[in-house]
Amino acid sequence: MKFLRVLYHLIRADFLERTRRYSFLLVLAFAAYVAYGVFAGEIVVRLDEYRGVYNSAWVGSVMAWVSTVILSLAGFYVVKNAILRDQVTRVGLVLATTPMRKSFYTLAKTLSNFTVLAAMVAVLAAGAVGLELARAEHSHLEIATLVAPFAWLALPAMFMIAALAVLFETLPVLRGGAGNVIYFFAWAACLGISVGTGSADWLGFNLLRGSMSAALKAADPTHEGEFLLNLNINPSLHASQTFLWNGVDWTIPIIVHRLLWVVMAAGIALLSSLFFHRFDPAREPWRLKPLAPSLGPAEGLESVGSPPVAQTWVSTAGPLSPVKRKPGLRPIVFSELLLMLKGQPLWWYAIAVLLFAISLLVPGLGVRSGAAAIAWLWPVLVWSQMGAREARNATESLIFCSESLLNRQLPAVWMAGVVVALLTGGGMGLNLLFSRDWRGVAAWIAGAFFIPSLALAFGVWTGTSKPFEVLYTALWYLGPMHHTAGLDFTGAAPTATSPIMYLAVTVVLLALAYFGRRTKLAYP
Amino acid sequence: MRLVIDKVSKCYEGNAWALKDFCLETGPGVLGLLGPNGAGKTTLMNILATITRATTGTVVWNGTDVKRKPDALRAVLGYLPQEFGVYPHLNAVEFLEYLAAVKGLDATSARRRIDDLLKLVNLADARKRPLGSYSGGMKQRVGIAQALLNDPQLLIVDEPTAGLDPEERVRFRNLLAELSGERIVILSTHIVSDIEAAATEVALISQGTLVMHALPEELLCKAEGRVWEWVVPTSEINALKQRYQISGAVRRADGTHLRVLAESCPNGAQPLAPTMEDAYLYCLCSHRAGGAR
Repeated sequence: MKFLRVLYHLIRADFLERTRRYSFLLVLAFAAYVAYGVFAGEIVVRLDEYRGVYNSAWVGSVMAWVSTVILSLAGFYVVKNAILRDQVTRVGLVLATTPMRKSFYTLAKTLSNFTVLAAMVAVLAAGAVGLELARAEHSHLEIATLVAPFAWLALPAMFMIAALAVLFETLPVLRGGAGNVIYFFAWAACLGISVGTGSADWLGFNLLRGSMSAALKAADPTHEGEFLLNLNINPSLHASQTFLWNGVDWTIPIIVHRLLWVVMAAGIALLSSLFFHRFDPAREPWRLKPLAPSLGPAEGLESVGSPPVAQTWVSTAGPLSPVKRKPGLRPIVFSELLLMLKGQPLWWYAIAVLLFAISLLVPGLGVRSGAAAIAWLWPVLVWSQMGAREARNATESLIFCSESLLNRQLPAVWMAGVVVALLTGGGMGLNLLFSRDWRGVAAWIAGAFFIPSLALAFGVWTGTSKPFEVLYTALWYLGPMHHTAGLDFTGAAPTATSPIMYLAVTVVLLALAYFGRRTKLAYP
Repeated sequence: MRLVIDKVSKCYEGNAWALKDFCLETGPGVLGLLGPNGAGKTTLMNILATITRATTGTVVWNGTDVKRKPDALRAVLGYLPQEFGVYPHLNAVEFLEYLAAVKGLDATSARRRIDDLLKLVNLADARKRPLGSYSGGMKQRVGIAQALLNDPQLLIVDEPTAGLDPEERVRFRNLLAELSGERIVILSTHIVSDIEAAATEVALISQGTLVMHALPEELLCKAEGRVWEWVVPTSEINALKQRYQISGAVRRADGTHLRVLAESCPNGAQPLAPTMEDAYLYCLCSHRAGGAR
């Protein structure tokens, strides 16, 4: 009983702390938007030209699956801060002194993450009820049928996400921004494997596809089409025909199979405890090193054995050098650049140089453009600090009382970000220049302006680096990597968006950053 | 050089008033701002440092309203906040160079001053170590150095000795006293001995209002004839605590020697010369009891 009571209070405190933050409301709003998207036909699940009649089975399953896909990505980033928060608030130090076992802590954090994700799933389930009533394509609402996919599809997947978030937090390599980027690619790969091969079906995709396809086959024996999820589709891609589907038959073997993911999540949570260092400050990246023995008493103070220090009153401030004022942008740009790049390991620079060289010198277009694209993903963790660094390092009170901050420091941060973009993507830029591809050069310059502007706007408004890391990685994946029309801001492909558009977006983002910072200053 | 705080009030969300019609005028010297936790000291410091806007009232620096021209004050301001962070990958020199650039200082002269400041705060030997490896006291000393970077005319230090060891604390008090000659130093603290050692004026703040603004001697005068040493059996202490303001107790062979604040002499007690701590406690208790300043 004591075990359960401690567990309950750990989860409760975490849940209340999280749900009382604005970020939780934002995610709930996003979940509500997803429900609306399904209602408005912006998010559609269809089998070629077919979709199911909007009965409880179809609405529940579609909403459960869509929310599972979306929350498996967005939800991860929302909950990947449970241990970090205990560390930042120093509550972790208190917890570390209790008899609590490490495995209990990681398990509790997993359950806490799950509770938050489950709350979001619950909102979407409520949205599904509303959706079915609003669509009214079927005579009556069957709550059990509608809720079952949420229970058996979405919740086990949320357990996995909750456990993975804890694992990422306990592994030093994955704890920071690198983990945010790596998770995106891992998620995309898992989704691809699940959809493509049908194995590792943790999102329940194949379960639904199998059941829906069988129902459609019964209704239209000639049908051989595929299962599609469309976001923001154009009207011509809407399903033109409907078929009746009564849902997955939730047999015991299927349920047991789904619950295996919960068991696996528990395993991941326990595995995390092996890497969890129980808030030991000595295991933090910046542990205090002992002072050098040469560090003697301060000037003007007596050493041990002398009269009490309180009686000494010697001149210490006298010899301070005078200082002149010379406000200018260049020193701040250099300082901001140093701040961005200091602390990166040598191999980071080596890979940046390698990407530069490949995108400039290698003859094969495919390799060259691939390297060029990666060259602008490589500094994502450098850019993601822009605008958020002051909040992240609690230096606001030191910096925000400086004069002309908006007109000097903020532009300097942006310029430093542009310099990073120009340097890391320089290989591609030079290549475009040498080949006299002026449109490409213009697009490249627009890209170099756009990326730091996006980072700065997100950093200033959110005060954290995570939103930019996630959004930019997704944008990069869809745009420069897969050349999705409208999203390729590098100008590497013929489908690249007009540089004028990205320059216009840059101006908007810079205005947003300016006003965002302005609102944080008492006297702009 | 004049700083005028005129009827400054600050209201936070939920109608919580941290400051109410706070008025104070000061010139060169060390103004010790003394008050209990939650008295509104940090709010006042943030308003003076242009970090927070006052809800009502004005702050005037050398005849200029700070609300209208904040940069007039910012150009000559040095601020050491109660809590602040550093950039862990930079070393002390790089961090101070960065802040010098943000403050608009000339790079060459700033570099010389940074060298001097690091010696002054006893960090010269640790100057090349990343700030992330510094102890709390060392970070505090970096904070002190950054506050002095631009040779400020108005130096605001909020709980500056928190985290410093006794040796560094003494050193910092001495430094403040020396710096105060041609500038205004506002030292906010709840550590009375810091004020005792460095302040040339004292402002007592409680519940967001100014209780008293006086010279240290005047503050001491308030408690004159009201501090007593009273030797009592240890078993009686709890009962006496209910009736008297006790500012200290030492156990000796003949019983417990209490330091009592009282308007009249308790039976058998001996008069004592008041300390700043006695005076502070006396004024605060009088204020809470609704007594006149």
